Amino acid sequence: MKTTQRIVLLLALLLMTTAAMAEEKRWVSSEGTTLKSEASATSENVADVVVGTEVTVVESGGRWVKVRTAAGKEGWLYAGRISETPPAGEVSGDGGLFGESMQKSQINTAKADSARSIRGLSPETTQYAKDRGTSELVKKSLDTVLLRKVSPKELKAFLQEGKIGEYAQAQGGKK
Amino acid sequence: MRYFLILTLMALTMAAHPASAGFMDTLQNLANPDSKEGKLLSGATQVLSSSREIDYKTERTIGESLALEGMQRFGIPVKNEPLQQYLNLVGNAVAANSRRAKIPYQFAVLDSNVQNAFAVPGGVIFVSRALVSILSDESELAAVLAHEVGHVSAKHALKSTQRAQFFEGVGTITAASVRGDKGKKFASAIGDMQTVLFDKGLDKEMEFEADLAAMETTYRTGYDPSALIRVLEKLQQLEATSKDKKGSWFSTHPPLSERISRLRTELRKYPDYGTLASVHERFVKRAKLK
Repeated sequence: MKTTQRIVLLLALLLMTTAAMAEEKRWVSSEGTTLKSEASATSENVADVVVGTEVTVVESGGRWVKVRTAAGKEGWLYAGRISETPPAGEVSGDGGLFGESMQKSQINTAKADSARSIRGLSPETTQYAKDRGTSELVKKSLDTVLLRKVSPKELKAFLQEGKIGEYAQAQGGKK
Repeated sequence: MRYFLILTLMALTMAAHPASAGFMDTLQNLANPDSKEGKLLSGATQVLSSSREIDYKTERTIGESLALEGMQRFGIPVKNEPLQQYLNLVGNAVAANSRRAKIPYQFAVLDSNVQNAFAVPGGVIFVSRALVSILSDESELAAVLAHEVGHVSAKHALKSTQRAQFFEGVGTITAASVRGDKGKKFASAIGDMQTVLFDKGLDKEMEFEADLAAMETTYRTGYDPSALIRVLEKLQQLEATSKDKKGSWFSTHPPLSERISRLRTELRKYPDYGTLASVHERFVKRAKLK
């Protein structure tokens, strides 16, 4: 009896391990990623997923991967937008010496998000330029560069027009 | 009662010899270049540790200051708004798939006749008119920009100067810290970084790292990752005939032959590279240089 119990226990453990191994994890690693209903960029949007979102692989189909989110949503992601390891948190991008706590990296990510609103020459750089006697032309030129912006919508249209990445197959481009 | 005794004893032992705290101290001292432990580490590690504490705002200020210096040296952006817009579309397309996708990036073509591209901390990236003029398609432009994004995402410039430690003590740079005595230190740190970025060039391994990152990033975006090899081969041809190599992509980088051979090995990771986009027509139409 004891032996039978042991065998059952071992089998159960084995099954659990196999199940765990089958549960392949991936992480969203690109900005502006959307979960699609089919393996095509033109299919319906299921949900927007932010960088760092953990997903479970349900099915792989070449350059598209069917995944399930923690919230239970299923859909397809373009393979270029996910990676096998979690993306480094902002500022901890250099890895540090011993890594960083999740909390800290999240705070830093929030900082970087607020940094998105930084536009144009900063007051600090303006001061630096003043002290160095940088010409108005150079200062103004950099200001123009810093003010230039590309919206997610423009970017999507650009990729679509060029039949790049996830838009390659949908547009009947080279597979 | 016995458990209580053991717990009390444990607590007392820990208070007398805070083993865990000591361990942490050692770890932290490793990150402090002035400590005994820190001095045991190599110079590279010291620089690495100093770049850890620089926040994004400060990184951006350093980058903007370097961008001003870069423009003084290589020229201001070419006055061609459609071209600049096109560059920003290609650049942002690759940056979104880079290892540091969450910061803003800006790109500009500088009016310079030296084949060069450089990135400053924080995400401002420049490419010269001369370098754009030798490219044949969008995937090649994407490769150059992705290489520079690779430097930004790995914070190579910040890790390249011992003086970067100056920024560590400053915390967040304010207008006050770029004035007066502090300002002199700030300017000298910027000066150091200029020498690295514009004259000496970044560490050889950093260039290889950026090359590999560029290949991955372009591939993820959907561009043919072999484009970077093509760009380097073009530069190699130019290098053979060019007299003045000062400040160009081939003078500030490791030998092109070495980079090409490493990239050829790396390309094996992407067996389907030939099926990815290179976008020739749009490039010819939109990257026109007057």
